[in-house]
Amino acid sequence: MAKELAFHGIGLSKIYQTGETQVHALRGADLEIPSGELLVLLGPSGSGKSTLLNIVGGLDRPTSGELYYHDTDLVALDDRQLTRFRRANIGFIFQFYNLIPSLTAKENVQLVTDIAQDPMDAMAALNLVGLKDRADHYPAQLSGGEQQRVAVARAVAKQPGVLLCDEPTGALDSKTGARVLETLALANRELGTTVVIITHNVGIAAMAHRVLNFLDGRIASVEINESPIDPAEISW
Amino acid sequence: MRALDLKLLRDLWRLRGQALAIALVLAAATSTFVLSMGVSRSLAETRDAYYSRNNFADVFVEMTRAPRSVVDRIAAIEGVGQVEGRIQQYASLDMPGRIIPVRALINSVDEHGYNRLNLITLREGRLPRAGAPQEVVVDEAFAQANALGIGDDVAALIYGSRQPLRIVGIGLAPDFIYSLAPGDLVPDNTRLGIFWMGEEALEAATDRKEAINSLSLTLQRGASEAEVIRKVDNIVAPYGGAGAYGRADHVSHAFVANEMAQLDAMTQVIPPVFLIVATFLVYIVLGRLIRTERTQIGLLKAFGYSDWAIAAHYLKFSLVVAGLATLGGALAGIWMGRAMTELYLEFFRFPFLEYRVSGSVFLGAALLSFGAAALGAMGGMRTAVRLNPAVAMSPPPPPVYRAGMLERFGTWGGFSATGHMIARHIARWPIRSAITVLGVSLSIALLFATLQFLDSSRTMLDSYFLRAQRQDMTVTFVEPRNEDVLFELEQIPGVLRAEAVRAVPVKLSFTNHTERTAIESTAEDGMLSARIDADGNELGLPPAGLMLSRRLADKLGLSAGDTVHVELLGGRQTELDMTVAGVVDEFVGERAYATQGVVERLTRDASPVGAALLRVDPAERASILTQLKDMPGVLGVTERDASMERFEELIDDNINTMLFFYIAFASAISVGVVYNSARILFSERAHELATLRVLGYFRSEVGIVLLGELALLVVVAVPVGCILGYWLAQFMTAMFASDLFRLPFAPSRATYGVASLVVLGAASLTAIGVAMRVARLDMVRVLKAHD
Repeated sequence: MAKELAFHGIGLSKIYQTGETQVHALRGADLEIPSGELLVLLGPSGSGKSTLLNIVGGLDRPTSGELYYHDTDLVALDDRQLTRFRRANIGFIFQFYNLIPSLTAKENVQLVTDIAQDPMDAMAALNLVGLKDRADHYPAQLSGGEQQRVAVARAVAKQPGVLLCDEPTGALDSKTGARVLETLALANRELGTTVVIITHNVGIAAMAHRVLNFLDGRIASVEINESPIDPAEISW
Repeated sequence: MRALDLKLLRDLWRLRGQALAIALVLAAATSTFVLSMGVSRSLAETRDAYYSRNNFADVFVEMTRAPRSVVDRIAAIEGVGQVEGRIQQYASLDMPGRIIPVRALINSVDEHGYNRLNLITLREGRLPRAGAPQEVVVDEAFAQANALGIGDDVAALIYGSRQPLRIVGIGLAPDFIYSLAPGDLVPDNTRLGIFWMGEEALEAATDRKEAINSLSLTLQRGASEAEVIRKVDNIVAPYGGAGAYGRADHVSHAFVANEMAQLDAMTQVIPPVFLIVATFLVYIVLGRLIRTERTQIGLLKAFGYSDWAIAAHYLKFSLVVAGLATLGGALAGIWMGRAMTELYLEFFRFPFLEYRVSGSVFLGAALLSFGAAALGAMGGMRTAVRLNPAVAMSPPPPPVYRAGMLERFGTWGGFSATGHMIARHIARWPIRSAITVLGVSLSIALLFATLQFLDSSRTMLDSYFLRAQRQDMTVTFVEPRNEDVLFELEQIPGVLRAEAVRAVPVKLSFTNHTERTAIESTAEDGMLSARIDADGNELGLPPAGLMLSRRLADKLGLSAGDTVHVELLGGRQTELDMTVAGVVDEFVGERAYATQGVVERLTRDASPVGAALLRVDPAERASILTQLKDMPGVLGVTERDASMERFEELIDDNINTMLFFYIAFASAISVGVVYNSARILFSERAHELATLRVLGYFRSEVGIVLLGELALLVVVAVPVGCILGYWLAQFMTAMFASDLFRLPFAPSRATYGVASLVVLGAASLTAIGVAMRVARLDMVRVLKAHD
């Protein structure tokens, strides 16, 4: 069964110039992410997984290589087109939530629904992550887990084709972490959203369809998981 | 260098834009202070040196005619130092190729060099010699304006007879630093010259053998001026004494003093505005710096740095900025001071006027600038001192936002999420938002308050020249004439109408107040002159009694309906009680008005024509002027349009120089305030702005979040600025008022607009400049950091 590819990357590399030294963050990665897949990127710090995620999400550009989202050549897009690409297709979730402190939970979600083409209702998104009752709370009034769930609601609310998550549970304890992962799995299962998760936590790999192992800027190995488990069953 | 000082230098370098923006505002304070204080002090020092070197007298009196022996009688008065009598006589000059009338005020000087008072400083040549009646010294400004030099001849009509004059010297004297022809509002060096002529020659030319008509004296130390004046008046009264007066009422001295008072008023108003803004800027910038360096402060304290060492570290930051500002501001102030001094030399005739700034002015400027910076640093220093090291090293508690007033407004208005971000951020930092509003509004206010002087001058021009003076020419006579002269004037082809006016010197007394002034009379059916009050209304003359200008009435403490005691000065010594029938709010001078009939009860001489106002056919102007020049008894002719042009020219000259400075200053404030607000805003919100970019907001949309807040504050500042400007302008107008004139307060709507637009322009450009940084926002890096 040949699923349509959401992302298709060939020979992606990224070199950062910091002062006089060059850092090869990514050294020619080939990548295929089928639509609707739940993919986990594993690897030590500095192995290039965040760099790849940022390039895939249109936050950064590869130094060389080709990258397509469906039929769109991402490398050829200018800044404004990349912004439009993110606005239309990508939901981001970060380790440190990145909520706007001056906006309530609901308004943080509205930040995205205000500009998306076919968003769900902000309250519906909060309901999805179980935070309907906390809609009028400011981030400072929410726990870390709750804040991350608001971030998930914000990412999901625009009904994006892809969810990109960089260490989404890195700052959370196991119980709240599992809740966040459950929501991600739900979006993948119910809405068909492609989900890419970066993690240090090997346990999380058990919920993925596929796992890419990173080492020194390269994809060292690919594991296919025939029977992904429910996030609740993950051992931390 | 100590490590902490190295940090200071690096902080300054990192925040150089903001530090410079603060320095700009502080420099504006320093420069205006150095400018106005420096010019005022330079004027005062120059004037005082000039006065003492050339023995400027303390008391003056004019008479119709007195024997020279009166000098000795006055010298005998207790408290009088030196006394000197002289003849002062207006003459009209026949300048070849010029049809416009040119007048000279000729003063007698001793041919043997025995003068003691109001001495002439000779630029070139020499004083007139005995036995050479045609020799004169001419004042420098007139000589320059008319391209006259030593050896040139000028024909003059003195006391009815034509006399050739030869220029033997060019000079100037302390009693003519500023000279105005009668009826003029601004000095005109091309049309009024001050001449000095040998005493014997002038006696002969004016038929005043051994007689004088003017007297000056100096007072001994500790003598009472009022007492001496009273005694002098008693002695000169039989000779038509027009009332003795001190320096304060001497035209030349009064104009110089008036200018200095205006400069002092500027010193009191303008630098403080800049200082207030600079203090606030230091407050917000250091406040932000200390918030971002919270952890570092905790660390330094943990290492054992004392509270004082840390407070001093931040104080030094503000003092370095103040130091830069003082230096730059002082240099700019000196430069502007030079330019302004040049401007003064156009209408003040000093032998030298050097713009010199004394050490004390610099010291004062430095104290103000360092003081404002230190005051602004206090808030931040207190925070730094109070920080507990253990608490400081942990991250600060997340900012707490709540719905403010704007918020509730926002829910009605259906704000977008980004709209809420803007509204709540303003509510979160109310003081800083208020400072931004205040700063921008002060810059509008300052620009408005200075620009409205243009409106003020235009209103004065309109009311004084266009509406109050309807004549084309004013013909002044050597002595008041009877009404026959009006018929004579009307015979000249092209003269359409002639009306009489006359000003008689009087002393008005009410209760214990006494004022020297003049009553101006016009014909009951006069059409060529009018009294326009401050509101632009035309007031008719009361059929009986006097009409007083507001300032004079206030000085005497009387109002309409009171009875004032009037004493005629010069000529007959009539005294009468007259009713004050009305009070008129006027811009120029302090005078009284009455009809011809009322004034004749006082003068009893049936000579109401001190001067004639003419309405003429413009086509005949040249021939009329030529005929007037040859008419006996005519002292001079003033053309209204020429005076008006001269006045406009003077305004334009001044305005163009000043306009540049004012716009630069007002922009300095708004640039300083907006730049700092924008940079702080940007650094506080960099994380949020990057988040918005990640979520798919375009740069322009993110820029709006940043600019929206500033725009909102700046828009609020516009009405606030206009209100503050209105007050400031009123205050400055009141401070500028003097005995000579007061400026009307008549700001036009356009001035509100121009002031707002200039400031909005400067603010927008600055804010947009900062917003460009959104383009360089590194989304990846900002998001990696935990705020």
